Amino acid sequence: MFSIRNLALYLIAMLIILALNFLLPRMMPGDPLMAIYGEEALVQMTPELKAELVERFALDQPWWQQFAAYLSTLFTGDLGYSYYYNAPVLEVILGRLPWTLLLVGTALIISTLLGIVLGIESGWRRSSQRDKSLLTGLMALSGFPDFFVGILLLIGFGITLGIFPLSGAITPYSGFTGAALALDILHHLFLPLTALTLCHIGGSYLLTRNTMVTVLKKPYMLVARAKGLSEFVMRYRHAGRNALLPVITRAGIQLGRMVTGVLFIEIVFAYPGLGHLVYEALLARDYPVLQGVLLIVAFSVLIADFLVDVSYSKLDPRIRYAH
Amino acid sequence: MHINLKEEVKQNNFAKFGIVLLLLMLVIALFAPLLAPYQPNSQTPFAFEPPSSNHWLGTNHVGKDILSQLIYGARTSLLVGFSAALLATILSAIIGTSAALIAGLYDKIIMRIVDAFIIIPAIVIIILVAAYVKPSLWVLILLLSLLGWQGGARIIRAQALSLKEMGHISAAQSFGASNVYLTFRHILPDLAPILSVEFIYGIRRAIFMEAGLAFLGIADPTTVSWGMMMREALDFCYLDVWQWWLLPPGIALSLTILSVTFIGHTLEGALDPRLESEAIA
Repeated sequence: MFSIRNLALYLIAMLIILALNFLLPRMMPGDPLMAIYGEEALVQMTPELKAELVERFALDQPWWQQFAAYLSTLFTGDLGYSYYYNAPVLEVILGRLPWTLLLVGTALIISTLLGIVLGIESGWRRSSQRDKSLLTGLMALSGFPDFFVGILLLIGFGITLGIFPLSGAITPYSGFTGAALALDILHHLFLPLTALTLCHIGGSYLLTRNTMVTVLKKPYMLVARAKGLSEFVMRYRHAGRNALLPVITRAGIQLGRMVTGVLFIEIVFAYPGLGHLVYEALLARDYPVLQGVLLIVAFSVLIADFLVDVSYSKLDPRIRYAH
Repeated sequence: MHINLKEEVKQNNFAKFGIVLLLLMLVIALFAPLLAPYQPNSQTPFAFEPPSSNHWLGTNHVGKDILSQLIYGARTSLLVGFSAALLATILSAIIGTSAALIAGLYDKIIMRIVDAFIIIPAIVIIILVAAYVKPSLWVLILLLSLLGWQGGARIIRAQALSLKEMGHISAAQSFGASNVYLTFRHILPDLAPILSVEFIYGIRRAIFMEAGLAFLGIADPTTVSWGMMMREALDFCYLDVWQWWLLPPGIALSLTILSVTFIGHTLEGALDPRLESEAIA
């Protein structure tokens, strides 16, 4: 059940992030403007611009007024200006968002579906040869760091075989349109998507398998067997369906964490999403962009968790009746 | 809560494999100065050397011996993993049990903080901090442990709460045992299996994080690390050098994480008999 207490929790978490974002640059030794805006801004700094920025961040005011100024600019949707990209931070972020959504969304769907099917198959006949090899294989796979899985695919298919592009999301200046463009995008998507899917299967597989263990002991499974239902119907309609909930919840939570989850894969394949943007901003010391992305990341995590919380009782009526 | 971990490990091939592998890594890390043919940061004039009898894994783009870097990388990885996990486990044990025993407002405040930190992905905070202050190895360990105790504290609090209700604890309490005495004499020994799982997964998380941060180029550039080696090697992956430069640190890192995963999975299974009703081995 959702409550005021949970809402307070999300507000506290948000406040921690905001406070960190606000305090860190201002605690740095030296010119706070430099820490807020990064080195790139100093090149373009004129006395007028400086006066405007001091005014904008209320840097000549006490700290609480500075915090108020910070919050009020955020609430108007203004995340600042990147002097590295020469564009508003929000615009830079929105330009990258579709690529991350495409990559993570597809990977999440494929890995969750595969994880569920494999988990059901594995949990149904526990300790069988198939279960053991699946468990060993997927556990070993989940032990691999995601960027190394990416690197292996890059070396194998990108460099040695040369059948997939090494970086980017589309061929630059190709002038492709329509079907050719879609094919080009898929061609670039394939390796990062495979890497991300492989890294995510293990989690949903283990979760389904473990839930199956509990579900299989339920009386309704006995009833299903007594009714003489076929193996397949019992496995998927009765056991599998009841083992779904935790996995779906997990997928929801993962969606909120997509940028941190895809960070390394995007860097390995130079895929131009939000994860790669974090990397670029780190290299360029572009603090406004870095702060902006991390704020969006934290915000999406909170929103996703919140929605999962709220929808949980809708997905599983047993929870609603229990209250 | 009384589980014979030794027996569990003996019966489980995953665990045996994990322990042997982790011990091997520990030996390499401990005796790195003896095993490594060169200093990890000493440069030779020969860059991009292929493997030879002088440099078994060749040299990198600035002429450093890759094998020596690989061996010293084990040190960084395990040092960060073990220290951060140890600190985080101690923190979660202290905070979790004190919250359970003291209860009241203290418990409420602690648990709200825990919940808030569990929601925020640790990597966001670390990247944000690291962007401003390039963390040294010890600052990194401190950061990782400060961001790693919350999940454990919640589990330990729940366990300590149920222990608190048990007969032998209330008996000791009625004899006038203090909270500190109770914690060390009765609660912590019973929590040992859970703490060990927390510790193992803490190691895994910290090793993973350290490698990832070094891969991002956030960590201290003077410390040799597998993540850093992979990032440097990745820039030259189109040259034919990845076989001895990019793969070895990746494999070493994966094997280390794999060994810890296997050990953790075995311990977890031992603690949750539901999962272990039919032994997997």
